[in-house]
Amino acid sequence: MKIQETSNLLRPVFLTIIGLGILISATTAFAETIKIGVITDRVGNSAAWAKPVEEGLEMALKEINGSNGVLGKQIELLYESDQSKPDISATKARKLIDAGVVAILSISNSPSTQQAQTVTMKAKIPHMTPANSADYLTKKLNNNYFFQMGPLGSTQIRTLMAYNKKNNFKRVALVKDNSGLGTYLGKIFKQNLEKGGTSIVAEQTIEIGSTDAIAQLQKVRAAKPDAIYHSGIVVSSMATFFKAYHQLGMKQPILGSFNLSVPRYLEVIPGLLEGVTFIDAFDPDKKEAKVFINKYKKEYGKVPFALPAYGYDGLHVMVNAIQRAGSTDPDTIRAALAATKGYVGALGAKGTSVDFSKDRAGFSKQGAVVRVIKNNTHGPVVHSGY
Amino acid sequence: MTDFLELTVSIGEAGCIYGLVALSYLLVLRPTGIINFASGEWAALGAFVAVTLISQEKLPWIIGLPLAALAVGAVGWMTERLTVRPLVDRGAPVLSPILALLGMLIFYREMYSWMWGVDNLFVPMPFGFGRVEIGPFAGTSQSFFIMAVTVTVFVLTWFFFEKTIWGKAFEAVALNRMAAALMGINLKLVAGLAFAGGAVIAAFAGILQAPITTVHFLMGLPLAIKGFTALVIGGVGRVEGALLGGLTLALAEKLTIRYAPIPSGFALGIPFLLLILFLMIRPGGILRAKGAD
Amino acid sequence: MRGFTIWGVFIGSLMALAFGLEGYAADLFRKLLLTATLCVGFNFLFGIAGQIAFSHIAFYGIGAYGVVILGFQLDFPLPLAILGAVLTCGVIALVVAIPSTRLEGFFLALATLAFAQLFSVVLLQGGEITGGPQGLSGYPTPDLFGIKLEGRAYTVVISIVFLSTLAILLLIDRSWFGRACRAVRDNSATAAAMGVNVFRIKVAAFTLTSTLAGVAGVTYAFVDNYLSPIVFGLEPMFLLLFMIIIGGTGRHVGAIIGAILLFLAPEVLEEWVGRHYLLFFGILVVGTILFQPNGLIGMWETLWKRWNRRAIPR
Repeated sequence: MKIQETSNLLRPVFLTIIGLGILISATTAFAETIKIGVITDRVGNSAAWAKPVEEGLEMALKEINGSNGVLGKQIELLYESDQSKPDISATKARKLIDAGVVAILSISNSPSTQQAQTVTMKAKIPHMTPANSADYLTKKLNNNYFFQMGPLGSTQIRTLMAYNKKNNFKRVALVKDNSGLGTYLGKIFKQNLEKGGTSIVAEQTIEIGSTDAIAQLQKVRAAKPDAIYHSGIVVSSMATFFKAYHQLGMKQPILGSFNLSVPRYLEVIPGLLEGVTFIDAFDPDKKEAKVFINKYKKEYGKVPFALPAYGYDGLHVMVNAIQRAGSTDPDTIRAALAATKGYVGALGAKGTSVDFSKDRAGFSKQGAVVRVIKNNTHGPVVHSGY
Repeated sequence: MTDFLELTVSIGEAGCIYGLVALSYLLVLRPTGIINFASGEWAALGAFVAVTLISQEKLPWIIGLPLAALAVGAVGWMTERLTVRPLVDRGAPVLSPILALLGMLIFYREMYSWMWGVDNLFVPMPFGFGRVEIGPFAGTSQSFFIMAVTVTVFVLTWFFFEKTIWGKAFEAVALNRMAAALMGINLKLVAGLAFAGGAVIAAFAGILQAPITTVHFLMGLPLAIKGFTALVIGGVGRVEGALLGGLTLALAEKLTIRYAPIPSGFALGIPFLLLILFLMIRPGGILRAKGAD
Repeated sequence: MRGFTIWGVFIGSLMALAFGLEGYAADLFRKLLLTATLCVGFNFLFGIAGQIAFSHIAFYGIGAYGVVILGFQLDFPLPLAILGAVLTCGVIALVVAIPSTRLEGFFLALATLAFAQLFSVVLLQGGEITGGPQGLSGYPTPDLFGIKLEGRAYTVVISIVFLSTLAILLLIDRSWFGRACRAVRDNSATAAAMGVNVFRIKVAAFTLTSTLAGVAGVTYAFVDNYLSPIVFGLEPMFLLLFMIIIGGTGRHVGAIIGAILLFLAPEVLEEWVGRHYLLFFGILVVGTILFQPNGLIGMWETLWKRWNRRAIPR
């Protein structure tokens, strides 16, 4: 009788102890992650650009965690959406810092990254943008904790100018839109073109939401430029630009920013982009790029382009730095990031690498490539660097 | 000179799109007194449905265009039924439905990005992309198509208001709700039809514009603002006013961009300066309402 | 006595939060206070003075950009820069108000909407002065009597700005000015017949509230030390309108409740619903308007009355 009662008691106690044990090890297993914050945009103006970058991040995450993570722990990405609103971006940065992230990646737009940067600067947390291209991000604020991997606007225009040296365009037109980045890139393009001795004979802005760009392009046509540089980034304005260009029967060569490296344009304005030259950060013939393309095709079933590669390279560089730092201390990670040199990812021209040791904007100045659109596809690289 | 003639086609095209949106506002505003800022979102919905019907299901425009417009009309009807009628029934001040519709603006936009994604989408042009010359005027086939459809819509709407009994009912409600109700006019039906009609017309604007500018979930608000500016300029009293307002706005915009010696960035402020000017000098718009001085 | 107790509790808890919160919570709190400041000001203009103006956020921007331009580009000493920015707001508000007074209802809304859009264009095209699309950054946090105004200290400053704005608005609401504003709102012809100078009241109400928005703007400039034109655009203005409608138009407490609810709602909704939280946000806005056109404060009062009625012994 007594033995029965005892074993009746023992079983539930035993099970409870095992259960607790599993629970404890499970929670400690969960606690054993290294958290990296990601500020993205899921609902606003940058949503279309941020989504492919997130896909690249996720792919890199799977790879890293699949090969035992870093420092013996798994990486966990904490996503926050800032609606492309700079003040919200700063708040989200604080939220992520309070949540215990060791670093933050910003993949929303440049002004949002800038305002978030004011927070990471004070909090001394490593902060990186894999794709933003605004030069002012590393120039305006003296924030040693901030790193930029996107191809700078200045790098883009100089590469285009170098490619066109043989053409010797003396008089060019500049077309942009009234988005923040479009206007800013336009300013950078103009500065560098004028410094290089080219004169801007017409400068036009295509408003977001306009139904056609005939008036703007008529003005451009009247100025008789040798070529047209385009720094705009909003798809609808770009669409009206190309339609007007063809409708007016214009023939000047068009040179575009890295925005045209997004294949979406080939789908929504097919056939109107023949012969257009553009900047890309991605050379699909590069060895590392080919590897990335195959992995991406296997994972998502479609062909990647620059945007997912930004996410992919970005997370790898960050994790690489954490590995070299050997700890999750922010200052040590920052130092390791700053020492990043010679990293060859999926992005960048052949023979170039990411280098933060001399400049917190680490995309190689020689890393931008020039491609031409032929037969409604992005053609191979015809030029790189300057 | 050829530039100017070509520009007139561009002005006509843009003016028609703005005019359609303005007409959408007008159709709702007159009988109900409600300013529907979500008109832009109805235009966007038209464009999205056109993507599904014309781009994806490959229906021809002759079927896709009216079908998409009718679908949006149904949405307009539902909107009135669900978010406006309860407020009107309760005697809420006219501001409440206006604000409820602003809330619907957010809801619509997010629905679109959920249902169709955040990327820009494509609608093919019905007559292909190419330069078309009609006399001294040159444009794309789409430009002339837009103008043709717009004029047709305006003529039909004018006809509705002037010649049909329903149109007279709308006018009656606009002039005096109480009297109209006393005469036996079903106020609820008029309101529902007004919203449905406004939605159909806004949808036209969106669908016609879609092949040129592509379709995106954020495309509604700029259209709503432009349409509203056109409405104020043209005057809220008459159907023709909406089109006139749209053309005037387009004229001011394009002429400034093409010929004014100011940086093009500042040319973007023109519509707003125009608006302020009109409000200061002639708040009634260019065309006075019938029955007014 | 009861009034004082409520006030005491309110100010006390505000200060407790200001001193106690840090990090993310403090950041949310700071931005919430600024939003609430804008809401009570806009509520006075819209709900009490009856002017549908969409320019409130533009004046927020004029204050913010003003203090940074005067203080760090023209190198005015900070107190002077603040004064200058606030004065600029006042002057511009007068310039906008005077011709606008003869516009009624939605025409006023349009004129102020156009003004707000023009302001955005100026910010974007302002070159080096306004920083254009890249905004203004890199200016330092000021210090007051040796204490650096950041973190907790700054939260206290913002709380004081909020309380002062609220106090000013409450005081004038209870004065003859408030009554005059309401009279003009309800029927300007009758008000004029009763001897109210409608023109002056309208201009005064607009100028005062816009200047208060400018003061809030000056405070915003040092929250993250970065000004981007996006923050001062059209969408934040619509959100402000939603806030006071949902809270209860014309009621100060309503404005504060609306600010708290609609500011925190996206944060909370995103936690619960994830990616498409704006969908539910839109439904929330529409739902509140449908079920409670008097706003949440109206609902609260109805419940309060019902509860009180039950409590009275028969």
